[in-house]
Amino acid sequence: MKDVLWLVQNMLRILFKSKKSVLLTLGLPIVGIIISLLMYGGTGTTNLHVGIVNHDSSRITTDTIKFINGLSHVDTKTVSPRTAKDEVAEGTLDCVITFDKGFTKSVESGIPDHIQIASIKGATVTGFVKSYLNNYLENIASFSKVANGHIDTYNQLYKTYQQSHFKVKTGTLKDTSKNKEMTYQTIGYLMMFMLYSAINLSGMITREKEGRTYFRLLSTPINSRKYVLANILTNLCVMILQIIIVIVVMTNVFHIHVSVPYWEIFVTLLLFALIAIGLSLAVVAFASSTSSMGAIENLIVAPTSMLSGCFFPIDVMPETIKKIAHFLPQSWLLDTINKLQEGQHFTGLYLNVLILLAFALAFFLIAAYKFSRNNQVSTFL
Amino acid sequence: MKVLELKNLTRRFGDFVAVDNVSLAIEEGEIFGFLGTNGAGKSTTINMISGLLRQSKGDIKLLDKEINKNKKFAKSNIGMVPQDIAIYEDLTAHENVQFFAGLYGLRGSELKNRVDEALQFVGLTSRAKDYPKNFSGGMKRRLNIACAIAHRPKLIIMDEPTVGIDPQSRNYILNSVHKLNEMGCTIIYTSHYMEEVEEICSRIAIIDHGKIIAEGTKEQLKAIITDTKDIWIGVHSPESLNISTLKAINGVNEVQVDEDVVKINSRADVNNLNRIIQYFINSGIEIRSIDEQAPNLDTVFLTLTGRTLRD
Ligand SMILES: Nc1ncnc2c1ncn2[C@@H]1O[C@H](COP(=O)(O)OP(=O)(O)OP(=O)(O)O)[C@@H](O)[C@H]1O
Ligand SMILES: [Mg+2]
Repeated sequence: MKDVLWLVQNMLRILFKSKKSVLLTLGLPIVGIIISLLMYGGTGTTNLHVGIVNHDSSRITTDTIKFINGLSHVDTKTVSPRTAKDEVAEGTLDCVITFDKGFTKSVESGIPDHIQIASIKGATVTGFVKSYLNNYLENIASFSKVANGHIDTYNQLYKTYQQSHFKVKTGTLKDTSKNKEMTYQTIGYLMMFMLYSAINLSGMITREKEGRTYFRLLSTPINSRKYVLANILTNLCVMILQIIIVIVVMTNVFHIHVSVPYWEIFVTLLLFALIAIGLSLAVVAFASSTSSMGAIENLIVAPTSMLSGCFFPIDVMPETIKKIAHFLPQSWLLDTINKLQEGQHFTGLYLNVLILLAFALAFFLIAAYKFSRNNQVSTFL
Repeated sequence: MKVLELKNLTRRFGDFVAVDNVSLAIEEGEIFGFLGTNGAGKSTTINMISGLLRQSKGDIKLLDKEINKNKKFAKSNIGMVPQDIAIYEDLTAHENVQFFAGLYGLRGSELKNRVDEALQFVGLTSRAKDYPKNFSGGMKRRLNIACAIAHRPKLIIMDEPTVGIDPQSRNYILNSVHKLNEMGCTIIYTSHYMEEVEEICSRIAIIDHGKIIAEGTKEQLKAIITDTKDIWIGVHSPESLNISTLKAINGVNEVQVDEDVVKINSRADVNNLNRIIQYFINSGIEIRSIDEQAPNLDTVFLTLTGRTLRD
């Protein structure tokens, strides 16, 4: 193992001595973030569409709806309880607020109740509305405590508050849907660049064969298995670095809100790292020279990335292409990210995880099979 | 002690036999030369010894141990200087040697000392921090050697270490081969240059079409073809020379007249020089010089293979 680490250290040294490699491995993923920002970030923020189901018509409900509507980047529309669910599912509404009977009474009695917020996009959408709403309702509820049963006092307080709060109300909406799209697209680009850099690094094997150092290495106590293992470990190090850089730059430099715990994104992308390494080894096993490796790379990376929706959302593609995407690992990864963003838990996505692992395993097996066949015919010239 | 022993070593590529039943033993302290034309099988033999290529048949023993059963032992006791320069262009000279030495398990201050020592040995200390892209062919060859000696192997294999380099680097390399040998290393040396092999090797094997066709010290090799000798006699006026009389002298095989020189090929075991000279005196031909041509390795090679080394 000590000699494998020695090899890893040397491979990293060679990689990071070349400015081109540094740019390719670390710079390009950041470029991916910037492209995503340009695609989604430039046009300002969109509005959050809130549906209102009102079973409790009264002055307080009307004012509350007015308040919500008055929040920046939020618009409301009244919907019937039956269509509300569908509209949320279709995405025309981001969330639905239901005022049940007894809402006004509960507020007047000081303990707001009988109000619900529903959304399928997860906590970040509702969280924003909820926090403002809670604040608002609690203030009103507190009037009844202060007024202590005096209707006039209560009305006075309520009126003053209604007039003043429109002035103090502020708040820029954290545009969650856009942030999600940017995250999604950034990860799409990241995957493509991970594939490029993985093939570039595994290509070191081919380059070392052409440069004769590979055979020189085999005359030392290193064998070919250790050598390939070192290459895999080096690749893994580099890709972990890429993932971390992208997550850090995305959230801390460009302030894109990922709305999925970092570790979940990290683990998901780590699965893709395994796929990328497996694929790159298979490419190296089949390519007889650096030039044929470049050809295979061009044939595989960009087209599959495009078909899986790494460049633009797959929804715009025709149905047949969407079907092809099912056979591409990138689309399964994006699907996983999507589901995580929708608030699903990692543990519930075992099918996605299994499929991703199966892709990685398949590529590794293909590579191993081809490598062993290459050794049998002993290419040595 | 035998450092290396090959027994019936054979390697086929498909139907083609690149190395054919090669058997030989190399003793500790020898500088053993491999002579052969292009494609004779030198590199193939060496690649099998260094564990890069599996033999089709036969045994290879290094220090009395079968190498395929003791791979790690064998590899750590061999220093390989490959025919094709194998160094990393992206690493400095120092980093190159350090990397290869590290693969043999050297670490820390020991590693550092050995690396410095190896660079010093090939005369690259002042260029240690430079990248090989800026090196001349000779300097790259020297770095190639430094990478193979830092771990102090028992057996150093040099596959044409002086191909295509300037005379200064070549002398440097030949001197370092001598020095390594004095330090106790056994060396296998292949070359296209007869004079190099003749100068430094204590024993030589001539390999042709995968077979060893002759093996021994320089003197032994020359003795193979010294059952005849060439006597060249320079004269003033060879016109009156009677070749058939000369040929009648016991042991003389062939007589040629080349301008002023009479070239006589004779059996080596017959002492007939006196009678030949007597003939010239009797015929009144004035002798200006007498040369007995000693056979060299070129003639040995030519006689054995029918080709010169650089055909
Ligand atoms: N991997 C291989 N496949 C097929 N033939 C090979 C292979 N390696 C070597 N040979 C053949 O084996 C023969 C011996 O080659 P080798 O490289 O050992 O010669 P050499 O004596 O080192 O020649 P040179 O002086 O040119 O280096 C050549 O005819 C070569 O073409
Ligand atoms: Mg050779």
